Amino acid sequence: MSGAGDIVLDVQNLEVDIPTPGGMLHAVRGVSLTARRGETLCIVGESGCGKSLTSLALMGLLPAIAARRAERLSFAGEDLLRAPASRLRALRGDRMAMIFQDPMTCLNPSLTIGDQLTETFLRHGKGNRRSARDRAVALLERVGIAGAAGRLGQYPHQLSGGLRQRVVIAMALMCGPDLLLADEPTTALDATIQLGILQLLAELQREMRMALVLVTHDLGIVARIADRVAVMYAGEVVEEGSAAVVFDAPRHPYTRGLMDCIPQPGRTPPGTRLGTIPGLVPSLVGDMQGCAFRGRCPHAMPACTEPVAVRGDAEGHAWRCVLPENALERAA
Amino acid sequence: MNAASPILELRGVHKRYGVGGGLMARRRTLTAVAGVSLRVERGEVLGLVGESGCGKSTLARMILGLEAPSEGEVLLDGRPIASLGRLERGRLVQPVFQDPYSSLNPRRDVASIIGLPLIVHGVGTVAERRDAVAEMLGLVGLAPRHAEAFPSQLSGGQRQRVAIARALVLRPTLVVCDEPTSALDVSVQAQILNLLLDLKERLGLSYLFISHNLAVVHMLAGRVAAMYLGRVVEEGEAGRVLGAPQHPYTAALLASALTPDPSLGLPAMRLGTVFPNPLALPSGCAFHPRCPAVFERCAREAPALLPCPGGGRAACHLTGQDQHQAA
Ligand SMILES: Nc1ncnc2c1ncn2[C@@H]1O[C@H](COP(=O)(O)OP(=O)(O)OP(=O)(O)O)[C@@H](O)[C@H]1O
Ligand SMILES: Nc1ncnc2c1ncn2[C@@H]1O[C@H](COP(=O)(O)OP(=O)(O)OP(=O)(O)O)[C@@H](O)[C@H]1O
Ligand code: SF4
Ligand SMILES: [Mg+2]
Ligand SMILES: [Mg+2]
Repeated sequence: MSGAGDIVLDVQNLEVDIPTPGGMLHAVRGVSLTARRGETLCIVGESGCGKSLTSLALMGLLPAIAARRAERLSFAGEDLLRAPASRLRALRGDRMAMIFQDPMTCLNPSLTIGDQLTETFLRHGKGNRRSARDRAVALLERVGIAGAAGRLGQYPHQLSGGLRQRVVIAMALMCGPDLLLADEPTTALDATIQLGILQLLAELQREMRMALVLVTHDLGIVARIADRVAVMYAGEVVEEGSAAVVFDAPRHPYTRGLMDCIPQPGRTPPGTRLGTIPGLVPSLVGDMQGCAFRGRCPHAMPACTEPVAVRGDAEGHAWRCVLPENALERAA
Repeated sequence: MNAASPILELRGVHKRYGVGGGLMARRRTLTAVAGVSLRVERGEVLGLVGESGCGKSTLARMILGLEAPSEGEVLLDGRPIASLGRLERGRLVQPVFQDPYSSLNPRRDVASIIGLPLIVHGVGTVAERRDAVAEMLGLVGLAPRHAEAFPSQLSGGQRQRVAIARALVLRPTLVVCDEPTSALDVSVQAQILNLLLDLKERLGLSYLFISHNLAVVHMLAGRVAAMYLGRVVEEGEAGRVLGAPQHPYTAALLASALTPDPSLGLPAMRLGTVFPNPLALPSGCAFHPRCPAVFERCAREAPALLPCPGGGRAACHLTGQDQHQAA
């Protein structure tokens, strides 16, 4: 199967700190992740838990005020922690690409989408103007934009939310990256287009053995495409494992809570109220003692105020909770 | 108030935009909405689903009076929207948009964001407005202390509560929700959906609820309309439309929905990959280039939106026949 040589992304103990008026915000607290060629890793978790900052930190694109630390951050065996800025610029957009959560942040409102799509391709010396344009049109068609040639002259504000999102996806794929970090790439799209894009990503993975790290809060997508799932809470990965195990036998109460929040067609009759996770995420300013979820956890006990070690099994399922292993099991 | 008329009625509404016109390109017409007729009755939730870019938000903007239709009529409470004053319109219909970040003014605190519509419309005294704001805060589940917070100090879910409070402070009858939870994570989405259900019951609201999430639509809506390329292609009682769709697009939409079942992979796409282009509407049925059940009549003749078995309406030449169910 896959060996160490297949590891495209390897990050150990990633930390991101942001100074705020109230004190130092520890937004990402010791995140370790790996992604292999041809593999899909999904990152899920509550808004503000650090998913976007984690992705930005991996790409070296954090806002200037944020500080990044890690024990290791390597891309295809290359140490990114010590790589010069010029090397990072050469890799970004070419071998490692990112789809940002807000399409407007990577679209320039005063340039046509045609100019923006061809720019990266030309900058990385992938071909001439003509081949850049051809590739742009081909990719726009593949992400489901009909009459793509006619769209090249349009400006971002003339496109619907879903069209903008697909332009940004095409942009990230222009150079055929080895690693694609996609932050909520299909939220604004209808189900048929979303499916088309997920199929396209899956196809590219097969063709080019691209590693895909997908940040999403759509558990439907996660269930269907993830090889592995990392569940984040308050800046930490609280559970990680294969999709089947995380969905069917979650070991962390936060993961269980998430599963109960989603309406299930057929199983949630019209008008029923959904499960919620009462309470608020703890402040990430200052030090955190014990389990970050304990203020909202229905199972919290005194042991939860002590530092919680990561536990795991031989199949690569890991979780950060003191409960006995069968505590969350449900009668079928 | 006109109890007999629906709170919202759209009659043959069109919206066209001129696009392009750069150096080389000639200016062309983009048809965003191509003849939509729909009704929302009092106390009803109409779910609106459809292709990205099929004109849902454009329709929402016309219902809110933010843009005028190129053709056709929007009636609120039985009266043409153009004949209504701003306050009258504001008391009939209010929006909740997708993005709780950009839709709130970052320089105003929560109390003045929620109270602003009252001031703009000169409603009540200072004291009455303060009471109204306090009541709204409670109604949407925010604490009194949040009144002085600024949007940047609130979570996404709290901001969306503020947006809902602002929408409801004039006590509108109809709320147009354009993807109100798609920017929120699932635990916050669950809170906001529960809140919308509670408020509907307590205040007798009607919603036009636009969403890409069919499970969410199923939970909220009594009736569902599906749009494709600017037209309504199917409409009817929610259980019927989502349970036994009659139009091949609605059927494809349902087949593409990803339920959270890790034992299943991505469903095979059954649609053609000729994606819709509002700059060049296909002949006949607008869905025919992608339809798995297409036959020769489809490219020639546009199907009308006609009553279909099980109730509601669908716009497909095969409506009432069984063939496309198998596709
Ligand atoms: N530039 C910044 N300055 C200060 N705080 C920030 C900044 N960017 C992010 N944060 C904070 O860091 C935390 C993590 O943010 P991040 O954007 O990574 O969350 P997320 O998991 O991507 O959330 P969402 O699902 O809402 O996109 C949040 O508490 C956020 O408020
Ligand atoms: N101001 C405008 N000028 C030109 N074209 C526009 C304008 N506003 C919208 N359009 C076009 O009208 C069509 C419908 O857009 P609209 O935003 O209503 O779609 P939507 O159904 O809300 O899509 P989504 O699900 O992606 O939000 C799109 O093709 C869009 O590009
Ligand atoms: S009318 Fe024809 S093309 Fe249109 S949806 Fe029905 S079968 Fe398909
Ligand atoms: Mg994010
Ligand atoms: Mg829209």
